[in-house]
Amino acid sequence: MSKMVPRGVRNVLAGISWPVYILLYTPLALVAFYSLAPAPNTTGHSVYAYGVLFHDSTVFVALQRSLVLALGSATVSTILGTLLGYGLCRFRVANARGLAANLPSLIIYTPIIMPSLVFGISELIFFNFIHSETGILSAGLMTMVIAHITFQVPYVALTVFARLAGLDPNLFEASHDLYANGIKSFFYLTVPVVQPAIIGGFLLGITLSIDDFTISFFTAGPGSVTLPIYIYSAVARKGISPEINALGTLMITTVMVLAIAHFFITRSRDRRASLLPT
Amino acid sequence: MARTAAQGEARARNFRLWLTAGPGLFWIVLFLLIPSLVLLGIGFFTSNDYGSPVLPLTLTPFSQVAGNSLLGWDDGNIVIILRSLEQAGIATVVSALLSYPIVFFIMTREASLRPLLLLLIILPSWTNQVVRTYAWLELLGPNAPLTAVAHALGIVPPDLGIAPGAFAVTTGLAYNYLPYMIVPLYASAERLDWTLVEAGRDLYASGARLFWHTVFPQTLPGLLSGVIFVAIPAFGDYVVPQLLGGDKALMIGSLIANQFTETPDWPYGAALTIIMLVFTGAGLVGFRILTRKLGGAGEATI
Repeated sequence: MSKMVPRGVRNVLAGISWPVYILLYTPLALVAFYSLAPAPNTTGHSVYAYGVLFHDSTVFVALQRSLVLALGSATVSTILGTLLGYGLCRFRVANARGLAANLPSLIIYTPIIMPSLVFGISELIFFNFIHSETGILSAGLMTMVIAHITFQVPYVALTVFARLAGLDPNLFEASHDLYANGIKSFFYLTVPVVQPAIIGGFLLGITLSIDDFTISFFTAGPGSVTLPIYIYSAVARKGISPEINALGTLMITTVMVLAIAHFFITRSRDRRASLLPT
Repeated sequence: MARTAAQGEARARNFRLWLTAGPGLFWIVLFLLIPSLVLLGIGFFTSNDYGSPVLPLTLTPFSQVAGNSLLGWDDGNIVIILRSLEQAGIATVVSALLSYPIVFFIMTREASLRPLLLLLIILPSWTNQVVRTYAWLELLGPNAPLTAVAHALGIVPPDLGIAPGAFAVTTGLAYNYLPYMIVPLYASAERLDWTLVEAGRDLYASGARLFWHTVFPQTLPGLLSGVIFVAIPAFGDYVVPQLLGGDKALMIGSLIANQFTETPDWPYGAALTIIMLVFTGAGLVGFRILTRKLGGAGEATI
């Protein structure tokens, strides 16, 4: 089929595509390259900036916060999202019409389509209001975790839903016939079957959390600077430094390793669905 | 008897639905839907001396958006909104123009290579947006390699960089959102009915004509989804114009954010947000209608 594309056209396609592939990675490669800046009063490449970075307690605390934020929010959103995807697939009346029946879908898609700036500022105002009225939830790591859970839940739910929707509904009938009750069939049938989707959803949640800046920025407090916020304020204040590049390099590497792991875990099943950004 | 049993079953089903789907839905409603409605509501309040919303209700914030202030009318806001539309538009067109060759490049490779080639397109977008945006300063900043080229060609005045500037913002936006165009386009190109292309060729169509009449209509739904995925987030982007833009390339996202951070004026900021969402919504609805007219129903709704 695709053999129908003539050789000349294919060469043109490759001639346009390879430069774009290179361009996609050039800025990231330069970050890594400039992170190897020479140490003071020396020449040649060095890992000096990494040394400075590892002794900087601010960065270390920010890293800790980023990890707590990513793991904490991904854990909660995996639980909420798995239940949500499971419930919608198993218990929703199929092909129902009207607003009430479509309400769950509308709610699930809101965090996905809402511009992150509007998302972040809405949360800023909401938490500000809650705090001034009740004294709880002052801007900090807790409000960031809540916001991160909110944008991860739909993605986990959709991942689990997609996996369940591809299953033969007779499986559930069969487990029912074998006298499994709802809870039993959930733990002995559903959980093992959707396990790849749950793991994939969890990893996706972590990736989304690490990727986010805008929503974190508006829900963060003065004492909850995470890595992206640290980098942003450093670059905005005094431009790029080798240390920032070292930090950027470590973040790029980590995410790439995670993303490739995600790719190979979900590869065995539907390849394309796992790569779709929405 | 049978009827009550059916009713009971439906009720049990509903109960289970709320037990499982309820908490997640409730979470989104409480922490996103309600807060965003509050934000929109604030746009109709009066601003006090600290920029906080107070009664009475008023339309003053919207008049501020139009450019009216105590100092008279100013076209600054209109310019910023138009610039945001322009930047989002150019970024969308550039991604669309690059996506077609890339998608068909991937399509014409061996089947086993395709997922990997697609992954390589998507991978950069999984790193943090701040990192992949500031990374462009390494290429476009005042002392960067591409800036040196621009200096030599006399495009950019000496001692200035390509970034900060409008061109750097366009580049950053296209870079950030290119994968969002490629993925839906690839999905629709993968389902391409090649027999139609063959039929076109049998009728002696070739080259651009063949593409235009057989390939393009079939991939149009994917293209339209891609346009939505790129144009909407690019229009309201915050990080790219902040890091690569500078004062002369200010976009609506930064303008909104300023009203909640640096010089607080919440009602004005909320009114700006409403205007931004109106443009976004109009774009969405426009494209939904266009998609349906062109026979690609369903694709744009994911």
